[in-house]
Amino acid sequence: MADETNQLRVRLVTPERTLFDHAADAVELPAKNGYVEVLYGHAPLMAELGAGDVTLHGGPDGDQHYNVSWGFAEVLPDRVTILASDALKPEEIDLPRAEQQLDRGLNMWKEAGESPEAFDEALRVIAEAEAKMATAAEKH
Amino acid sequence: MANVLDLRRRIRSVKNTRQITKAMKMVSAAKLRRAQERALAARPYAKMITSVLESLTRRIEIFDPVTGSLRHPLFATREEKRVLLIVVSGDKGFAGAFNTNVLKTAFQFISGNPDKQIDIEAVGRKGRDQMRRHYPVASYKEQTDESGHTSQVRERGESVEVTGDHPGMLIKLETARVQKLAESIISRYVHEEIDAAYIVYNEFKSVISQRLVVERLLPLMKIGIPQITGAVEPSSEQRERAAEAALSAGIELEPVDTAAADDEARKFGTSQVDYIYEQPAEELFNGLLPQYVSSMLYHAMTESVAAEHAARMTAMDSASNNASDMIDAYTLEMNRVRQAAITKEIIEIVSGAAAV
Repeated sequence: MADETNQLRVRLVTPERTLFDHAADAVELPAKNGYVEVLYGHAPLMAELGAGDVTLHGGPDGDQHYNVSWGFAEVLPDRVTILASDALKPEEIDLPRAEQQLDRGLNMWKEAGESPEAFDEALRVIAEAEAKMATAAEKH
Repeated sequence: MANVLDLRRRIRSVKNTRQITKAMKMVSAAKLRRAQERALAARPYAKMITSVLESLTRRIEIFDPVTGSLRHPLFATREEKRVLLIVVSGDKGFAGAFNTNVLKTAFQFISGNPDKQIDIEAVGRKGRDQMRRHYPVASYKEQTDESGHTSQVRERGESVEVTGDHPGMLIKLETARVQKLAESIISRYVHEEIDAAYIVYNEFKSVISQRLVVERLLPLMKIGIPQITGAVEPSSEQRERAAEAALSAGIELEPVDTAAADDEARKFGTSQVDYIYEQPAEELFNGLLPQYVSSMLYHAMTESVAAEHAARMTAMDSASNNASDMIDAYTLEMNRVRQAAITKEIIEIVSGAAAV
């Protein structure tokens, strides 16, 4: 079913809006256990996402970055759908707020004591904040 | 009989009122449009998460074949003894019978289950006020266990208690806050503090097609099929009224056709191929189920917000019409009074001239 363009249809959807719905050559996904790059013809895959950047290569407006935190991605040979809990364009990232979030996460980490759930929650907050700051730093 | 000056004053006051209700109607119409857009924008995600869960439950047994235990505690069903009821009402009044109807349905639910312990979670200020007036707020006692940990222990007094409220959640509907609520509900279910969760809200398909529903959120029995346990449809008269109001405010009556987008979304994760699952099934369920519950909650809230604005628009349209009727009636009366006064004066002049 390969066509001449060998492009993937990539969609990025959050509970509130659809951020992106275009064709692209390749897409990088921040899966929970590491980044995954998907090209046309990839084997069907279902992955849970962590916090990080979704990068689109060869989209209509060149390469594009989006900050994504938590969610799922479905990869089919000609289609990638990203279901993110939260996604931001780099210019939408509020740096002071991300820093506050990082502080909050660090505090939670200190106060977590021996509860593994509290630790996980703290780590989630920290990861999300750090990913946001990294995306913002890349942009400037 | 009132004199002309009094009537004129009264007409002026009713005119002012009409101006206000008209403005409120236009504001509600604008807000309704925005709420509809938001509800529409939230649809692809809700559809996708539903279909991926559906396909996952079809592929993977919800019971682990090796250990025989459930893949996720949210699938567990228990006898319903303790029930959580989420009441989604409006934040403000002036919306006709909107809040009254939501509360009536909630009270009916409560009185229909007298042998169960019911916890109420109120979303929306109007609902919170009413619920607090009727039922006590749950009290917690601090307890320290042997290792020095302090934890909050619930002390149940009455069989129906208000466990929490979320004022202002609907004014600026954010998924993060809704997710917090979903997580708290899930944790209560997992820790067996509740055996089921229901939500009372106003469903909104279009201005003329909306109904009040009681839906079961937990336990998850069938993915993708709303478990509606009770619904109140509007009367045809109410529907006509709403249609009239919508027409005069320039709102589309028919829901926007999203069949193509919905179909596309429904395909998500359901392709008839074997997926490589990056994570084991338990982890996927762990990640997906809270998202699913939170998307159901978010859906209920967006619909309720749209329905509230639609109800307010209709109510304000009726109020403006009533004001216009009143102005007409007063104007007629004022003219009569004025004519009577003139006639009286002429008679006086004529009879005065005749006497001379």
